[in-house]
Amino acid sequence: MKYRIAADIGGTFTDFVIQEYESKKTFTSKVLSTPKNPAIAVMNGINKFKLDLKNIEFLVHGTTVGLNAFLERKGARVLLIMTAGVSDTYTIARGDRKTLYEVQYKKPKQLANKIDVHEVKERISWEGKIINTINQKDFDPIIKKINKENITAVAVCFLHSYINPKHEVLAKKILKKRIGDKVVISLSHEVAREWREYERSSTAVMNAYVGPVVNNYLAHLEKELLKNKYKKPLYIMQSNGGIIRAKTAIKNPVQTLLSGPVGGTIGGAALSKITNKPNLICVDMGGTSFDMSLIIDGKPNITNETEQESLPLLIPFVDIHTIGAGGGSIAWLEAGALRVGPQSAGAEPGPACYGKGGSNPTVTDANLYLGRIGPDSKLGGWMGLQIQESKKVLKQMSKKLNMTNTQLAEGILSIINAKMADAIRTITVKHGIDPRDFSLVAFGGAGSMHAVWIAEELEIKEIVVPPNPGTFSAWGMLQTDIRRDLNKNFFTILSEVKKKELQKEYDQLVHEASKLLISEGVKEKQMTFYQTADMRYIGQEYYVNISIDNKIDLNKINNNFHKTYKQKYGHSTPDAPVEIINLRLIAIGKVEKPIDYSKMKKENIINKTSKQNREIIFNGKKFKTQIINRSLIKKHDIYKGPLVIEEESATTVVPPNYSLVLDKMGNLIIKKIK
Amino acid sequence: MKKTDPISTEIIRNAFIAIAEDMNAGLIRSAYAPVIYEGKDCVVALLDENGNVLGQSSGLPLFLGNLEVCIKETARMFGWDIFKEGDIFFVNDSYFTGTHLNDATIYAPIFYKKTLVGFSASRAHWLDIGGKDPGGPMDSINIYQEGFRWAPTKIHENYKPRKDIIEFLKMNGRFGYTLEGDLNAQIAAGKLGEKRFLSLIDRFGLDMIKSAREEIFKQSEIIERQTVKKLKNGIYRAEGYLDNDGITKDPIKIKMTVSVKGEKITIDLKGSSEQKTGPVNCGFAQTVSACRVAFKNLINPKRPVDGGTFKTLEVKAPEGSIFSAKEPAACQWYFSILGLLIDAFIKALSPVMKNQSAAGHYGDSMVFILHGVDYRNNSPFIAVEPTPGGWGAWGDGDGADALINNVNGAFKDIPIEIYENKYPVTIRNYGIRKDTGGPGKMRGGNGLYKEYTVNTDLNLSLWFERSKTTGWGLFGGKDAIGPKVNLKFPNGKNEKRLKSNSYPIPAGTKVTTFTGGGGGFGNPFNRNPENVLEDVKNNYVSIPQAKKEYGVIITKNLKVDYIKTKKIRKGK
Repeated sequence: MKYRIAADIGGTFTDFVIQEYESKKTFTSKVLSTPKNPAIAVMNGINKFKLDLKNIEFLVHGTTVGLNAFLERKGARVLLIMTAGVSDTYTIARGDRKTLYEVQYKKPKQLANKIDVHEVKERISWEGKIINTINQKDFDPIIKKINKENITAVAVCFLHSYINPKHEVLAKKILKKRIGDKVVISLSHEVAREWREYERSSTAVMNAYVGPVVNNYLAHLEKELLKNKYKKPLYIMQSNGGIIRAKTAIKNPVQTLLSGPVGGTIGGAALSKITNKPNLICVDMGGTSFDMSLIIDGKPNITNETEQESLPLLIPFVDIHTIGAGGGSIAWLEAGALRVGPQSAGAEPGPACYGKGGSNPTVTDANLYLGRIGPDSKLGGWMGLQIQESKKVLKQMSKKLNMTNTQLAEGILSIINAKMADAIRTITVKHGIDPRDFSLVAFGGAGSMHAVWIAEELEIKEIVVPPNPGTFSAWGMLQTDIRRDLNKNFFTILSEVKKKELQKEYDQLVHEASKLLISEGVKEKQMTFYQTADMRYIGQEYYVNISIDNKIDLNKINNNFHKTYKQKYGHSTPDAPVEIINLRLIAIGKVEKPIDYSKMKKENIINKTSKQNREIIFNGKKFKTQIINRSLIKKHDIYKGPLVIEEESATTVVPPNYSLVLDKMGNLIIKKIK
Repeated sequence: MKKTDPISTEIIRNAFIAIAEDMNAGLIRSAYAPVIYEGKDCVVALLDENGNVLGQSSGLPLFLGNLEVCIKETARMFGWDIFKEGDIFFVNDSYFTGTHLNDATIYAPIFYKKTLVGFSASRAHWLDIGGKDPGGPMDSINIYQEGFRWAPTKIHENYKPRKDIIEFLKMNGRFGYTLEGDLNAQIAAGKLGEKRFLSLIDRFGLDMIKSAREEIFKQSEIIERQTVKKLKNGIYRAEGYLDNDGITKDPIKIKMTVSVKGEKITIDLKGSSEQKTGPVNCGFAQTVSACRVAFKNLINPKRPVDGGTFKTLEVKAPEGSIFSAKEPAACQWYFSILGLLIDAFIKALSPVMKNQSAAGHYGDSMVFILHGVDYRNNSPFIAVEPTPGGWGAWGDGDGADALINNVNGAFKDIPIEIYENKYPVTIRNYGIRKDTGGPGKMRGGNGLYKEYTVNTDLNLSLWFERSKTTGWGLFGGKDAIGPKVNLKFPNGKNEKRLKSNSYPIPAGTKVTTFTGGGGGFGNPFNRNPENVLEDVKNNYVSIPQAKKEYGVIITKNLKVDYIKTKKIRKGK
């Protein structure tokens, strides 16, 4: 038997989805993560299924190793080399303020210290001509410092290298000769071939910063796998939603920064195809945060630049928007008024019901009090929640507000649900879309507990809870393809562009991309290329990304721009001149996926024999509510709310006036009863 | 009438904030002029039927809470009946809005079932409004030189755009299509606000919204009163000078008296200069706004603004003074004195709010403009940018180096690669200007330097300020070094100047701008010598400066000489 496997390595758990090639059956599992050496958890997970690694045809994983190294500031010390005269560019970081009413303002802390930013004399002009050749002698003290102080990561960013990378390439050559093999050298034009020297240097530094950590980890995992006779390529999820071979990722580790979190969105894209629902809003609610992403016309939304902790990155990222709202969000009082979040009780002390001293009611306490979570649920690894603690803290607050516990508990949930709905509205406004045309896909631990109310706020008609919502991200990783993103700066007024010229530029990108895909083992007939361009009205800063047909039609490009602009912003100026900034190419190498979604194995059955009942409060009234294990739900039967569906990794709450069916793929579909 | 409850109030309050933020995000993302999308020179608000703010989101802090004035003044001039369904209004008069003519305010009544229920409003900086110089003059002596000047005018009427007016506006601006683009972006932002407000009313009902609004205003007021009440009663003062008005050489005085009494703070600007010939005058509405920013910096900075905020703040400025300018005073650079005003408020209250205060910052936008014809494509161009500088230190933090000034938004310094692509200029040197931050136990932030070499004959306009009153120190911290601008001509001649209006400079001229630092906080001799050493290693402070100002001796191999340091620190 042959298998395909995905491993999603998170902070606490490593999730697995395993699929048999022939029977097309899918299994899921969770093991504890091993943060010190994440490879151990991967091996543990595979061994749990007692598989022969020789039979694994395809292995992909997503990891937060790089992201955690960055968030905890535990990456490598980076030495940055820039053009002489302007190296403070990196430290000045464009001098903007992220918040406006602070007289005690601190700039975001950069990853490379000013003392580690060095200069080399060289200069390339705005059109890519060499004005001053590179001064090799300037490298002497830098190389001495790297060797003496055991620096393991170097970033290089020269002015205008996005148009002429010669000097950066030369710098690498000079460095390579005289420093250790293991030192990561990150060239800005290789990481991000775009203009804006601060943003590009910031990307190159991030790449160098996480480089040694990610590379060590990947090398270690590959070694372990090889030891166990796994000889096929190891794939890794990238922030752009596609996969690449681990060997390729080592060259540009920054591409894998959001490797873990994007799996859910990619799962959403696959779900969209399978269920034939082109527009989805994907939500993932956990203990402290609420993640949202969009699938529009079957495609995940991908941005070409982002900021992480206020540091810019010029790298394609699946656009995931996060706010501080989760099960741990705290209710508090201000001037006699009720507020909920964004502060979270976290894991310590956690919600009051954990019994670890949490003294404010949280969202979880409200859910528990109302009966929407059972007292025997496994939450945050805690068995046996203490409902009397929830009652106690609710009582303290409800007295001050002159309301009942029930009113307060339902109120806390209403406020947090409205906040999450507001946040979704914000991202839909950004894209000029109407949430009413979308279905809401809920996964993660708490997503499906709140989904109905969020949908109600947004007038969304349908909620989809996929099978195994707790391991949906890992499942998503099995559904994606190999992807490379290429781009070229092409700063030109559209009306002056010649069709031939544009065609030539794209042909060149396609040529370059084919070579990259071939090195990933992709055959020519599995390759697909998508052309896009970043465009804007002359004088603007933000751009709109427009897709461009393989057969170039300049009029169509122009019309598409105005049309897309109008859709996004509600207005356009069709007679105003338009310019192109970047040409982009998405290169996809199709991965064979013999998936049959309907044959997914259900999660472990908690209570096989009987249906349970619990008293749950909805809208101030108590309802005797059926608690049903998901595996007992029958296809095409209509279940009427109130109802709670339990499975190992998630709880779905269906209030009165809503009904539920299981579709043929195994998704729970929840709708309002008319 | 249906009364609200704590839950609905909080949901409605969050919705008001979210609506305003979404309106502003929409405006910023779709605006044409860089001054809006990067400078964030804009503000939006959702207001109730009386013109009080329900939710506001401001790109530029300076616009904090002066949109309601436009609605209330319009009603005062023409009566509330002037607002009809399908109307959109435009106004830009400086004495009306308080700011310069470039700031266009667009506002529209919102009707629910034929009843006026509120307003959407936005203000944004338009690139050019037909003044005597592109973008706006630096040497205007009356408002008529600064561009077109409009009283409240219907730009849409009964759901139809007034094409005659829009054409007139476009014809009078130098960059017609950007003007129209920005106008449309503002209208779209207003429509978004209207749509969201109406669906909120649909959901909760108008009575409920009104009842919640009263509750929200009350909460804001209580929170502010509680904070102000904790301050020690008394009279607090600060003063400072702008260099000049760009026309004459006389310094411009600002004098501030802050009285704290119970739950009330009064800012009185009596004793400040009379209105000036040059374009440095400010309308009273904008002075109030700037005082609100200053207030907000110290009092509950994180709380959103609504109709209940600022009830504890009173602002007074003598009519005809620089803070309450009358026709025909020129107002193009109205914001220069406001940066100083904000610093002054913080200084004045620092004795009673030491933990929240900070030393003065470098002070002004330090605007650098080049215009002319780009020889590479024969097109005329204008390149405008403010320049970052140093900020003041505070109790437990050094001031930020090279950060944009307090009356600017989130403006980002233009990348060299973009600047060189767009304009016929080469930038070879750009960096942090060491030793310019005021010495202190906490060091003031440093300014920066930037060297531009022009590759063709161009015109230079400069507005560099605050060389007389630099970023001041607090609690024993010292004042910062101020700005300078050096011109080096191809014939070898040098020149220094801080202001100029379209000054011709030949190809090959090097212009280097230097911005000032921020003030220090606390006695510099109390600064930890290790921190001084770090500053020397990072090139923020020189070895001689470490000795002279901090009394710290740093050896050649970059170590602190503790024995000598102790001696020198005792000696003074």
